[in-house]
Amino acid sequence: MTVLNRRDLLRLAAGAGAASFLAACAGPGDSSSDTGATSGSGSGLSGPKEGDISFAHWRAEDKEVFEQIIGEFAKATPKITVRQDISPSNDYQSTALQKLRGGSIGDAFTAFRGAQFLAIAEAGVSTDLTGQALLQKYETSLITAGATGGKQYGVPYQLVFNTPLANTDLISKAGLNEAPKDWQGFLALADKLKSQGVAPIAWPGGDAANAGQLLNVLVVNNAPTDDALGKIETGEHKVTDDWFLTVLKQYAELRPYFQTGFTGTGSDAALALFAQGKAALLATGSFQVSGVRKLGATFPIDLLAPITTTADKARYEGVHNATFILGVNAKSSKQGAALAWLERLSDPAVAGVYANGTAQHVTVKGVEYTNPDLKALAPWLTRKTALAPRFQFTDLDIRGAVENATVQVAGGKSPEQAAEEAQKVIDQKKK
Amino acid sequence: MVRSPRRSAALLLFAVPALALYGGFFLLPAVQGLRYATTDWDGYSPTFDEVGLSNLTEVVSDDDLFRNALTNNLKFLLVVVAGQTLLALLLAVLLAARSRSSTVLRALFFLPTVLSSVSVAFIWKFVYDPNFGPANTLLGAVGLDSLKASYLGDDGAAIFWVAVAQIWFHAGQMMVVYIAGINQIPEELYDAAKTDGAGKWQQFRHVTWPMVAPATTLVIAYTTLQSFKAFDLILGLAGNPPRSGLDVLATRIYSTFANSQLGYAAAESIVFMVAIALVTWLQNRAGKVAHG
Repeated sequence: MTVLNRRDLLRLAAGAGAASFLAACAGPGDSSSDTGATSGSGSGLSGPKEGDISFAHWRAEDKEVFEQIIGEFAKATPKITVRQDISPSNDYQSTALQKLRGGSIGDAFTAFRGAQFLAIAEAGVSTDLTGQALLQKYETSLITAGATGGKQYGVPYQLVFNTPLANTDLISKAGLNEAPKDWQGFLALADKLKSQGVAPIAWPGGDAANAGQLLNVLVVNNAPTDDALGKIETGEHKVTDDWFLTVLKQYAELRPYFQTGFTGTGSDAALALFAQGKAALLATGSFQVSGVRKLGATFPIDLLAPITTTADKARYEGVHNATFILGVNAKSSKQGAALAWLERLSDPAVAGVYANGTAQHVTVKGVEYTNPDLKALAPWLTRKTALAPRFQFTDLDIRGAVENATVQVAGGKSPEQAAEEAQKVIDQKKK
Repeated sequence: MVRSPRRSAALLLFAVPALALYGGFFLLPAVQGLRYATTDWDGYSPTFDEVGLSNLTEVVSDDDLFRNALTNNLKFLLVVVAGQTLLALLLAVLLAARSRSSTVLRALFFLPTVLSSVSVAFIWKFVYDPNFGPANTLLGAVGLDSLKASYLGDDGAAIFWVAVAQIWFHAGQMMVVYIAGINQIPEELYDAAKTDGAGKWQQFRHVTWPMVAPATTLVIAYTTLQSFKAFDLILGLAGNPPRSGLDVLATRIYSTFANSQLGYAAAESIVFMVAIALVTWLQNRAGKVAHG
């Protein structure tokens, strides 16, 4: 056996240190194996439809329904096994891209509309699905959020309404049988609800991810153009502009109508207030209907958006979003199997199982909605709703600054001051 | 006994696995961090541009979000270091005696330490909930409705409420360090102090306090590091990303990373390390001055 002396050891350590340093100095672009190419080690989407695949998503509440679908899929295609890799939505937003790049999870994956989807596509992690037969099964107008640069990198699966949920029993007791048509009407409704001893609006102001949902409905009719929030990021608009100050002032006007301690209320607590009938509106969206039902609520639910202008100037009745964008991982060696899984989900019957099991509408054509809540909300599928504007932000710091300003104003800060502070951050962060 | 040079060299090999792990998982990423800090790399693109020191200068001079996180972190640090050290010392003094009740109480106060940060975050998120939480419920029950608060929703005070949770989480752990220190103090010193007519307070001031100085140094240094690294507790309590009132340096760096700005996040990490080094150095200096 060769025994190293101290000098040899020092040489070894120095050599290892130098190698480490050089490796560290090899920049990200120097690696030829990590070029963001759009194919994995298999033969792409036309590869064999077999193997164990990972399906990465953030909807823990949908796990059981997906297990049911996976079970049926396994019977039909026994060569493919699907495993769900679920992360909490906030973690998924932060870390999914890096995990997907590794290729160890997420042969098939989902992405949030906006910043995350665009980053995943830009990183070359999404496989181009343009021309795939499964696209024919979707409402064309609802899958544009899965396209960028003229290529279809994913298909938004869920169609949700980022419009406040309404306990129509409480609304009726307030003497209203149809939604207010303007801002003054909405404030009058809120007054009546408050006088009846319920919180007019449950708002999870303490949960950044869901606090921002209210911004959608307060912006769509106030904004000069549909892409105004995106233009704040590019500098074409400012949050100190009159139209956005109007939005902030309306947050201030809503202050008396939120529940106690709204800036510190989390999503679960707001949900519980609404489900227990202690609040008439839940300022999040239809994606929480199943959560409300799980808490035992039996009252009828509808959507009710505050119209922030006069009736004649209102362009939209609410807000929708096409999200949960399904994609095939370009780094996966089992793209054929992943595509087969997406094709399965795109089948109208299977999409119906998902929709009715999770109380969410889907973008797939020809789905029969049997869930009572989905049936009740079905008229919203044809109403005039805007695509949720908050997802126009691609910089999360800028989105955070804007949404933080709304919470601060609701909490008592002056709209002008909050806007100026937010604009300063935007100016520092915009590219 | 004189050991041969060959034998000593062979013994050094035992350190190689630890050194390899240290090099691979700490040294190498640290060097890479320095490298990335001079680029605008987004974390996934095959190419990037060199930006020199502009990331670093932007972090220290033109980034309100980073400055806000640093301010929050320093407030958190001050409250946690002072509160946790004092509470741990108080508990240790009260429970240093070897009795059955002391043992039970020590175990009780130590209990939170064995919980995960996520569990602690869940507990305190519930405590602070303005509508359903026990904090406001208790205040209401005793007629102190005017003191009800939104806790984590109050941007000016939120970081202090998190500090309370952090102190609850770790004070028991530091109590154990102090108890070990107190048990090392020779009983004769107390006997001598009593003979000189010293009361309980004077015994504490002139015997216990000087004799636990090494433990205090350890507690403060450890608590400082804990305060800078309170990432998971804050993320659990505040959500991801945290609002500006709860954003600290660790969460800010994570948010920047999640925002596909790896080069800039690396620059923030460097400033973060410098801040920790600076605070630790100041503490050491203060400790040397205090202990002569």
